[in-house]
Amino acid sequence: MDRGEPIRIRGRKEFGGKVEGEALVSPLPLEGFANVDPVNGYTTERGHPLFKVPYEGKILVFPAPRGSGGFMGYGRGEKLPAAFLHTEGNTLSVACVMCARVPAMTDFDRDPVDVIETGDWVAVNADEGYIDVFKGGKTAE
Amino acid sequence: MYVTDDEKRILDGARGAIARLSMEFLIEMSEVAGAERLVDLDGTADMHTPWTSLVPHYEFPIEDLRALAENGEKFKVPTFANKTPLPICTIHDGWEYCDCPPHNTKEGHERMMEREWMALYKKMGMLTVHSCDYYLAMTYWPTQGQHCSWNESSAIPYCNAILGARTNIDGCFMTAYLGKVPYYGMHVPENRYATVVVDTERRIGSDVEWDVFGFAVGEECGLAVPALVNTGKPTTSQILKFNTASNTGGSIAMYHIPGTTPEAPTLEYALGGRKPKREIRIGEDRLRASYEKLNSHRGDRVDMVSLGCPHYGMVDLMLLARKLEGKKVRVPFWIMTIPWLFELAEREGFKKVFDDAGATLVSGTCPAAMGGCPPGVRSLAVDSAKQAYYITGCYPEEDNRLDLFYGTQDDCIDAAITGIWRGEWR
Repeated sequence: MDRGEPIRIRGRKEFGGKVEGEALVSPLPLEGFANVDPVNGYTTERGHPLFKVPYEGKILVFPAPRGSGGFMGYGRGEKLPAAFLHTEGNTLSVACVMCARVPAMTDFDRDPVDVIETGDWVAVNADEGYIDVFKGGKTAE
Repeated sequence: MYVTDDEKRILDGARGAIARLSMEFLIEMSEVAGAERLVDLDGTADMHTPWTSLVPHYEFPIEDLRALAENGEKFKVPTFANKTPLPICTIHDGWEYCDCPPHNTKEGHERMMEREWMALYKKMGMLTVHSCDYYLAMTYWPTQGQHCSWNESSAIPYCNAILGARTNIDGCFMTAYLGKVPYYGMHVPENRYATVVVDTERRIGSDVEWDVFGFAVGEECGLAVPALVNTGKPTTSQILKFNTASNTGGSIAMYHIPGTTPEAPTLEYALGGRKPKREIRIGEDRLRASYEKLNSHRGDRVDMVSLGCPHYGMVDLMLLARKLEGKKVRVPFWIMTIPWLFELAEREGFKKVFDDAGATLVSGTCPAAMGGCPPGVRSLAVDSAKQAYYITGCYPEEDNRLDLFYGTQDDCIDAAITGIWRGEWR
């Protein structure tokens, strides 16, 4: 294996499944309703670090949801993240995960926003309650 | 997860396919949320229409809803319609006077009001108040400790913090029909205690201060339950401003104002006798930073003014009518209210004052929920942190940007009369 030993962190399964992919990390909470565009698959929140950064197929990592029930926009449409990993959640993220029906986890033993950086390769095993983080991406030495 | 015998029978199909589908939805929601059981509702519910589920996977067609309604099936608890039907919330009243096709056409209006769906929901007992703050007009409030299923971020703390009833943000057909929700979050007494104490440098007193403070508290506290100390005592309108703004900057389902809100006779009680995890102070710099974040404009020319996010109640309309008496506005000026109050505002003479001033009373929606302003509007002035922060999301393209002016109601009125923004943080 050419990508080194992963960092494994454990969390609680919200929605089951296994998937691997490149991480997209939001250092700030994400906000739905008019501030997400599910057709194009990016946030339209002004001044947000992920403004217009596509999340389709990414392991979307964020600290928490905020705002309106329209947060579930992140889980609607065709351009979905490959998985959701978030530090904490409430009914907003619950409904979003149920909409998207992709692997999702929260309540980790280490904060995923601290551990994971955008571009890291992450193997999500929601069924068994852990993720493996490969720093520096899929082919890092 | 613990499932009662009655709930198992529903899962086995004893009450039909839609009851089973609704129960499957609730059980999945419990599993995702980490809830170990369901709880029976004894308060009220609201939902966004016309969708039959919060989640597309569980939606069912109108034929099945018709069969239920014709079979005499009813919602388990009093259930209210939130805003006008999705996905584009059209104008309930006053649409004829708004220059924004297709909302101002009879055909467009009728189509977007989803009459066929709404007739079936009404047959099942829904009260079609169609507002984000329908609770101002509902004439029937859940009492302290009752379990509810509401679905409007700005309304959630009105239920939890102000009424002392209990809700997460999960109101939908399936919770209202079965009269059950997952038992977690704000339904659990332990989770309702404050964990953060928020102090302020300035005594929060005016409407705009409660709004900007709410946005800052939301950003600082995230999902936590704060106890607010050293604020003024908020009016009802200010409570709505705080609730709405704190659910834009964050997701504050519950908070306490010791000596004011029902679960906080004292700060110690609000904290459940424990030490807070965090103590923060919202200083002058923080308030100013929030005010500036809510503003997003380059020039000072205002094309449109929109007030009433969340929808204005009767006292708000009366006070605004007092300010607009004898004035003339020179740009489109929307005043948004609750459909159930529209005719009342007409009867009380407020609508005539607005009409005479050149303003338009509209109900049931707002520019952000409509997906943007009427065509040609390049700059908007608002008195709401929520409206200010969301609506620019409808204009992400640099060559199609919307200049957004946020400030006090008086700043907005001045802008409507002069066409120029002169507001600033004071």
